[in-house]
Amino acid sequence: MKQTVAKLIDTTLCIGCKACEVACQEWNDQEFSQGVFHNSYQTMPDLAAHFWNLIKFHEVEKPAGPVWLMAKYQCMHCADAGCLRACPAPGAIIQRENGIIDFVEENCIGCGYCITGCPFDVPRLSPRTNKVYKCSLCSDRVAVGLSPACIKACPTSCLTFGSRADLKFLAEKRAEELRAEGFSAAGVYDGPGVGGTNVLYVLKYADEPELYGLPKDPKIPWTVRLWKGPLKWVGNTIFFGGILAAIVHYLKVGPKEAHEDD
Amino acid sequence: MRGTDLKPRIERFNAAERVAHWMVAICFLYSAFSGLSLWSHRFYWMAAVLGGGETVRAWHPIGGAMFAAALGVLFVKWARQMVLDRDDLAWLAVGHRYAMHEEEGVPESGRFNAGQKVLFWVQTAGALMLLVSGVVLWFPQAMPRALRLAAVFVHPLAAVVSLGAIIVHIYMSTLVVPGALRAMTKGWVRPGWAKAHHGKWYREVAGK
Ligand code: HEM
Ligand code: SF4
Repeated sequence: MKQTVAKLIDTTLCIGCKACEVACQEWNDQEFSQGVFHNSYQTMPDLAAHFWNLIKFHEVEKPAGPVWLMAKYQCMHCADAGCLRACPAPGAIIQRENGIIDFVEENCIGCGYCITGCPFDVPRLSPRTNKVYKCSLCSDRVAVGLSPACIKACPTSCLTFGSRADLKFLAEKRAEELRAEGFSAAGVYDGPGVGGTNVLYVLKYADEPELYGLPKDPKIPWTVRLWKGPLKWVGNTIFFGGILAAIVHYLKVGPKEAHEDD
Repeated sequence: MRGTDLKPRIERFNAAERVAHWMVAICFLYSAFSGLSLWSHRFYWMAAVLGGGETVRAWHPIGGAMFAAALGVLFVKWARQMVLDRDDLAWLAVGHRYAMHEEEGVPESGRFNAGQKVLFWVQTAGALMLLVSGVVLWFPQAMPRALRLAAVFVHPLAAVVSLGAIIVHIYMSTLVVPGALRAMTKGWVRPGWAKAHHGKWYREVAGK
């Protein structure tokens, strides 16, 4: 088996330069997305069908004064991916051997189930093509041994690409360093509730991931689990059981023959 | 019209009822197969038969909405006749006997028997749930996340219930009760059929 690849985002080193955003747009040859000014340094208020990588600027009040928590926001490439579970179209979402979750435009039917299944609210439907899009972790670059475009562009060492195991080790070490520096809540964010994400974050305030716009305990929503698990079994039992019961009834009991005339 | 068939007939369903019923049936079957194509990857070949996944995505909700509208027409025509009375409750209590074609202890039915009435209400409730959840799935970007999370579960759940009920309905009306299908296509039944299957109704229309 190929080893799982991952991206490490050390939020403490992000300077908000947005080089990664530009690199992402360039490499993926994205169409122009109209920005909206909303009183913030963010390029866009939110991700878009053709804007897969957004640096979010969170201004937070801490006892020691205001802090700026910059967090790169993109697909997390979950080991147990909600989008993949929800998708009805075979081959529209695939999980590569190296752990990358890739959307395949040709197979997508635009139902939007993946948007509902995703615990991180990442996929976006394009009104123009009626298909969904999101970060591919530059699977095309990774396939030929290059690192993703955003990683190449980062001028600090905020972004690192490598095997998940190595990066997890690095991240834990960095968190330890931060705790030694006095950030007692520092830690690693990697979504154990979804089997682990292949995007890892080092956070100064790992006990409050919401400050960075990250869900506290990301999980595949329970209605999605019920829908794709027990309901499938109940439903299939009713469909096939119902047809089978009708056949058995017909053979054992047969029709109610009409009585008199006719 | 009647040709050489001079045996007596009783009108069971008028033309408007029959048209409405078959509109419901066609729209339901289209919705069911197009919906089921997305139910499981193993059923996805149905999407290919129906024009491909994107076509199904675009047309299933339209077929569904037409189904709901057609059922609305049937509802207006039939809802009052579908209210269950005392005899119907007694009938349901011995439904297993009815299924085995035993006659003793099974109360006579009116124009619709208790099983048909239950089917009517199950389909009405199912259609409402399908419609409301279906509209949420139709326009995912316009809907809040909590609604979408409910809809992805409620829609297939309601579909399972109404499909389960429809399997029984189709089986009964095509194979178990000869003459029932003709009542819905040509509109009439024989007096003997009416007496046997819907005794109370027979006495009403025959004036006996
Ligand atoms: C009443 C109006 C209805 C509306 C507006 C509606 C809408 C939708 C929409 C938008 C979807 C998502 C995929 C797609 O667009 O094709 C869907 C899926 C589905 N629909 Fe409907 N629908 C309706 C009625 C029905 C009916 C009558 C049935 C069959 C009994 C049905 C069965 C299904 C099933 C099985 C799915 C797939 C669920 C899954 O993925 O597990 N729907 N419907
Ligand atoms: S929108 Fe496309 S990728 Fe998302 S669940 Fe539907 S078919 Fe799959």
